[in-house]
Amino acid sequence: MKRNRIYHSRVAPWIFVGPFVVSFGLFTLWPLLQSLVLAFQQTFGPATTRWVGLRNFEYLIGDPLFWQALGNTAQFTLGSLFIQLPVALGLALLLNRPGIRGRGLYRLTFFAPSLVGLPFVAILFGPIFEKRTGLLNAGLHWLTGGAWNPEFAWMQNYVMSSLILAALWMYAGFNMVYFLAALQNVSKELLEAATIDGCNAWQRFRHVVIPEIRPVGGFVVLLSVIGSFQMFELSYILLNNSGGPDNRGLTVVMYLYQTGFLTGDLGYASAIGWVLALLLMGIALLQRHLNRKYEDN
Amino acid sequence: MSSPLLPPLSLTLPDLPAGALAFIGLAAIAVLGVLASPAARALLRRVLSPGAAIILLIAVAASVGVALIQPKPPVGLPFWVFADVHYRVYSSIAADWTRRHPDHPVHVLQLTNPALERRMLSGFLAGTPVADIIAAERPVAAKAFVGPLEDVGFVDVTDRLRAEGLLENILPNSLTPWTTRGRIFGLPLDVHPVLLAYRSDLVEAAGIDVTQVETWEDYFRLLRPLQQDLDGDGRPDRWLLNLWDTSGDLVLMLLDQAGGGLFDARDHPQLNAPRNAEVLAQIVTWVAGPGRVCADVDLFSASGHRQRLDGVVIGTLMPDWMCGLWKQEIPGLAGKVKLMPLPAWERGGRRTSVWRGGTMLGISKRAGDPEGAWGFARHLAMSTELAADLYRQTGILPPNRALWSLPVFDEPDPYFSGQPIGRIFLGVADDVPVRSSSPFAMAAQSYLGNALVNLRGWADATGTYDRPALRTEAQRLLDAAQRQLEREIGRNTFLADAP
Repeated sequence: MKRNRIYHSRVAPWIFVGPFVVSFGLFTLWPLLQSLVLAFQQTFGPATTRWVGLRNFEYLIGDPLFWQALGNTAQFTLGSLFIQLPVALGLALLLNRPGIRGRGLYRLTFFAPSLVGLPFVAILFGPIFEKRTGLLNAGLHWLTGGAWNPEFAWMQNYVMSSLILAALWMYAGFNMVYFLAALQNVSKELLEAATIDGCNAWQRFRHVVIPEIRPVGGFVVLLSVIGSFQMFELSYILLNNSGGPDNRGLTVVMYLYQTGFLTGDLGYASAIGWVLALLLMGIALLQRHLNRKYEDN
Repeated sequence: MSSPLLPPLSLTLPDLPAGALAFIGLAAIAVLGVLASPAARALLRRVLSPGAAIILLIAVAASVGVALIQPKPPVGLPFWVFADVHYRVYSSIAADWTRRHPDHPVHVLQLTNPALERRMLSGFLAGTPVADIIAAERPVAAKAFVGPLEDVGFVDVTDRLRAEGLLENILPNSLTPWTTRGRIFGLPLDVHPVLLAYRSDLVEAAGIDVTQVETWEDYFRLLRPLQQDLDGDGRPDRWLLNLWDTSGDLVLMLLDQAGGGLFDARDHPQLNAPRNAEVLAQIVTWVAGPGRVCADVDLFSASGHRQRLDGVVIGTLMPDWMCGLWKQEIPGLAGKVKLMPLPAWERGGRRTSVWRGGTMLGISKRAGDPEGAWGFARHLAMSTELAADLYRQTGILPPNRALWSLPVFDEPDPYFSGQPIGRIFLGVADDVPVRSSSPFAMAAQSYLGNALVNLRGWADATGTYDRPALRTEAQRLLDAAQRQLEREIGRNTFLADAP
């Protein structure tokens, strides 16, 4: 009986993790290793490959398009962090106010855009940004009594800003839910104590709320950074499968897709993918390090 | 016979074999029986919750049922097409061919263009099932030309075309998109010449005679009175030509017409050809600055069609296939438009251009019945029925000169105010510029487009709209674009080995 229990305690964990390990190995680890090999090759299908050593990475370092894509993606990421997250936190603070009526309805309204997915958002915003007939231009033309030029090309002059705006509509509500959950867990005793000590609203927010929601905030920041660096669908659909005028809307993943699947250079696309992965890993490690440092302090 | 093919995705209940249906029925009865028995329920409760037990049984029954389904292999040579209209036209011809050639039946399957591209490439490169005949669009076919010549998945038909006398009849410039390193890999299906469609109702009401137009300069000068502010806001609401610095396809047609373009006859990039710089400089003066005469109206969207109906633009560069599209999507323009040869860049210059796309019939090297596939492809290329049907439904003209005398091309077209548009297009077909087969055509177009956007940006920023200064700046931008493109092409070690 005892032997049987020992046997079970040794074997059972493997049985439970087995399916995951097999599927992870087959569908994640193996392709990952394959892509690492690919990054050092030039291919024309699986049958025709040539070992090119570090040439793909050498090319990448001197590739202006890659750096432009990286710059655009960083711009989008900064937009997400410094516009999207404050807006999400602001919405959460508004909805967290006591005595607010229809809180559930507002929450649903703000969260609803994230239910539809980025392709839908892109399809929706395409006509909004159009010249002459677009809602934005037509609306501004009407509001300014004809002073606004309805031919203003949003997707030409402000590509990244337009993408950030479209993403804001979708993700502000999504991130708001995280912040709202965190705000609802802020200790009421602490807030009351701060009020009794004479803190005003800003001081309570700065010295009580922010430290309390910091772990969730850190998580949301990390999610936003990783999500923004992986941005693809929005620019793919809004810019009609291109980088936009002068590649002003080209993101790293878009460039990876164009290289791998439009030009057919899977080796170079893998190299781009690995550089992106290492970059994201670096950002995640940096954030973890900063978090620990903050906690130690 | 034919190579195996994946079954069509749609599967209806009657398609299921009787065995599978019986098994699913029995499994359902077994599930109900198990749930009805108290002993079985007690046993199940000890092992699984009732919900989990039901899900498990349904999953097992469904999996076995699906495993028992035997897909019905399609009968005949698999023939993949991507366009609705191709499917409609080819299906009736394939049915007729199958009746007359029961030993070489043809099965037409329509896929979306991305699906066709993926399945074609994985078939060629990884040995997955692939059709015997493929109607491939130019950017799709070009992907098969990236690697070594011997690895191109299409059958080299050069010698066959020559031996059977087809080369003499097919327009040489229709073969170039399917030719790589001197070898031809497909039978062309189109010419895609370009004319200028214009709002004849507005032009004629203004008393303008377009027969006086020979060059672009004539066109803009004679039609200038039509560029008007209709709502009194101080900005024109009607423009003379649909063109913008971001309309890549239209810009490319103008470059090709002018004798510039992305690649030379040997498929080497020539982005920085002086002619390209001249054309880009001219285009900037049309789309920006005090001499602006063009507007940006989307070619395919509903809002673009609305603006065409509203007369926001007078003229549009019109490849043959777009005639069919307009008839279908903008019926309100019927009787209000006419076609004329493109105004030339200089007197005596070329009065047409070419649409960068195009479709070929390629035969897979892995075709189970290559002779049957060639026979059918040849039949399509020679078929008067196909040529007439394709023209009637899409406006597309055949590249086979032997078919150009068909009376269908002389029929007046009520949509285009009674003009025999087929004959007008054929009148310029011999003069269409060469299209390249380079797999880097999209990249080249992107680099060129960026150069134009930057040139326009430079013009707006500096207020410089005179052509010589613009030409100098265009040349500088195109030189940089050429260097980037050459660097990108140079990375491909397979093409570098080519003679």
